[in-house]
Amino acid sequence: MIAELFYRRQALVLGTLSMIGIVVFWQIAVDTGFINPFFISTPSQVAAEFMVQFEDGSVATNVAATLYCFVWSLGLAAVVGIILGVLAGWFADVESALEPFIWFKYSAPTVAFYPLFVAGLGYGTPTIIAIAFLFALTPIYANTLSGIKNTDRDLARAARSFGARPLDIFLRVALPGSVPVMMAGLRLGVGRALTGVVVAELFGANAGLGYAITYYGQLMQTTKMMVSIVIVVVLGVLLTQILSFLESKTDSWRVDSNR
Amino acid sequence: MAQIEIRDLGIDYRKPKSNEVFSAVDSVDLSVEKGEFVTIVGSSGCGKSTLLMAVAGLVDLTRGSIEIDGKRVDGPGPDRAVVFQEASLLPWRSVRGNVKFGLEMQRWSGGDLNERAMQMIRLVGLGRFSDYHPHQLSGGMRQRVNIARALAVDPEVLLMDEPFGALDAQTREIMGTELLRIWERSKKTALFVTHDIDEAIFLADKIVVMGRNPGHIKEVITVDLPRPRNEAILDSDAFHELRKRLRAHLAEDMSSMQLVQEVA
Repeated sequence: MIAELFYRRQALVLGTLSMIGIVVFWQIAVDTGFINPFFISTPSQVAAEFMVQFEDGSVATNVAATLYCFVWSLGLAAVVGIILGVLAGWFADVESALEPFIWFKYSAPTVAFYPLFVAGLGYGTPTIIAIAFLFALTPIYANTLSGIKNTDRDLARAARSFGARPLDIFLRVALPGSVPVMMAGLRLGVGRALTGVVVAELFGANAGLGYAITYYGQLMQTTKMMVSIVIVVVLGVLLTQILSFLESKTDSWRVDSNR
Repeated sequence: MAQIEIRDLGIDYRKPKSNEVFSAVDSVDLSVEKGEFVTIVGSSGCGKSTLLMAVAGLVDLTRGSIEIDGKRVDGPGPDRAVVFQEASLLPWRSVRGNVKFGLEMQRWSGGDLNERAMQMIRLVGLGRFSDYHPHQLSGGMRQRVNIARALAVDPEVLLMDEPFGALDAQTREIMGTELLRIWERSKKTALFVTHDIDEAIFLADKIVVMGRNPGHIKEVITVDLPRPRNEAILDSDAFHELRKRLRAHLAEDMSSMQLVQEVA
């Protein structure tokens, strides 16, 4: 029974075991004096500090501030990315017109524009949202574009044989066929948006997980800093998993029958 | 007058990335009577699929004309429906959703879509599978859905482009018999493209043999085998005779192809 469960969830079990292994190793390495706790703290200290920050409400404040920026940036990136991606996927001219900006985005580090945004939007929430928006935009746009552009020719031809007009093909063939690829773009966008928010918070904010990380980092309070780092990691994994789940729901039809 | 009249048809393609013009079909004349089952057979590259797609209105004509019931073909129309190879079903729609698709595209006004779709699904023997998705079906079942989708719009002419080409030999035979059973009920005019000689004979009232370079009609053979047909006729003398004749045609095409390869 347990063996059967193990084989069915092998990947999950092994992944969990290796995670636990790292945490145990971390604790032992510090306890035996192998590594100076000043640099990386210990799991037990981080757990205790987490409870303290949880009770005084700073966990809630920081998570709320980060999530607020995250939701706005991802939301804007999803709306803009999907609209532009659909237009560029359907109209080749739009794709050509947007092409240079995308190359620009791929090759230049987005953070380099940080001072520009500060000049325009000031320190704080609007700048953070703007940076994270740019982080998340590219994968959402690129995936939507390729989904629409690579509409199955056989399906489009079959639709035309029944008298489908271009709008029919767009709504009934191209759009539904692109949903799984769009969802994959959104999943990538979630990770990018969170990265964008935390990175922008490192530079200038008065709340948020990124802010807490720099704040305690500059004070050399490693344990307090580690609390926020762990929360960021858990948040990232959690959000990406939610999207992966939604993604698997939307592309159940892509499952191969011969699998 | 015949239901389908093809006169002096020519279709040229421009090869991508060059200005070379390639003639897929040339000087094709063909008449198909109402209710006739016509198979088009030939080796690959003989333009048989191009000819079918032209009748479907999915390919532009370079020369000549195609008329159906006296009306010139200049695009797809509700008088024709195409059965494609199996990859042409919408994978995100159920069997019923796929059969409804053609009706939706044609803005069908002949009553309830669901009812019409279910009627066709039962006709092809998939009544129990109406909520399944294509990836859950076998290749043969998917082709039944394809046939149901085409029949649902109640076309005058049924066009089939190697619909059983991807199926194994046994399923192919079963599907041929099934297709005839369904066809006997509606007696719709049918054009069926295949490269399988037995299939071409088994289904047809009339076999159109095509050759290549450019695609043209070599011979039109009338098949006088009695209907309704079953697998037993595959062993009849008349069937053997026709098979021999078709083999000779295709062998000729093959040897001319080898010659071209040797010269090149």
